[in-house]
Amino acid sequence: MEEDFEGKKILVIQTHGVETPTRTYSPLFYAMAAAAMEIEVMVWFTMNGTNQLKKGEAEKVQLVKDSNVNLKTMLEMALDSDVELRVCQQSLELWDMKVEDLIDGVEIMGATSIIELALNYDHVMYF
Amino acid sequence: MAHENIKGCIILKDLLYSVKDNTWIKVDGDIVTIGMTDIAQGLAGPILHAKTKKPGTIRKKGRPIATVESGKWVGPVKSPVTGEIIEVNENLVSDAQLINRSPYKDGWVVKMKATNLGAEMSEMTTGDAAVEAYRQKIEQDGIECSHIDDSDTYD
Repeated sequence: MEEDFEGKKILVIQTHGVETPTRTYSPLFYAMAAAAMEIEVMVWFTMNGTNQLKKGEAEKVQLVKDSNVNLKTMLEMALDSDVELRVCQQSLELWDMKVEDLIDGVEIMGATSIIELALNYDHVMYF
Repeated sequence: MAHENIKGCIILKDLLYSVKDNTWIKVDGDIVTIGMTDIAQGLAGPILHAKTKKPGTIRKKGRPIATVESGKWVGPVKSPVTGEIIEVNENLVSDAQLINRSPYKDGWVVKMKATNLGAEMSEMTTGDAAVEAYRQKIEQDGIECSHIDDSDTYD
């Protein structure tokens, strides 16, 4: 049976992007699991992880053959589960991305904010 | 048992539903049995794990009483009522796909002693109104329910 984890906070850092589909699925799945357990959860996209948030990219990543689930639907399910999606401001430049290139529901944060967050979360999962 | 089959999805008319959260309840005094709907199990696909909260846990309406995960989805089962969990379906520990095979009978999730049942029941839907609400949802979202082997059947 499940413990009560209400009030706990997990930060998931995703550094893998659309060029490695098999490394994109699990971090979002774990984030949704945490949200289902009433844990406050944020996914922080940086480095290559940022490129999956560019409009039109995530839907090209089919995770399971013959499934209707792709990376875009995973990101949408995460948002529907109250998972917060944040992207590193500096990493946007790596991919020549601007604010308007981002899919809906993603907010931008700077490096100092992520350090502050990491210090205040109960656990950080790094992928 | 009076029921409706909409695109493979079974809706039993004698249960009360929280259509938004895809849960049902069956009421016996102030004891409420709670489960996932056939639509919910169809959307989730074959369920791999179902973890309930412990007996004695107090839940407000809308908070999770269990988490359920399949190969493609993980999410909470949100309580449609406020109260205390008094019993959990232990069979789900070893056989979570009971929810897929028998969402309205053997695959029930928890029983709760409800503390605000009158008001919360009035916010739920039953009978033909539930069928109509699910018909709209199923058509709007393009849902079709599939079932694994040995699932309950309704004539």
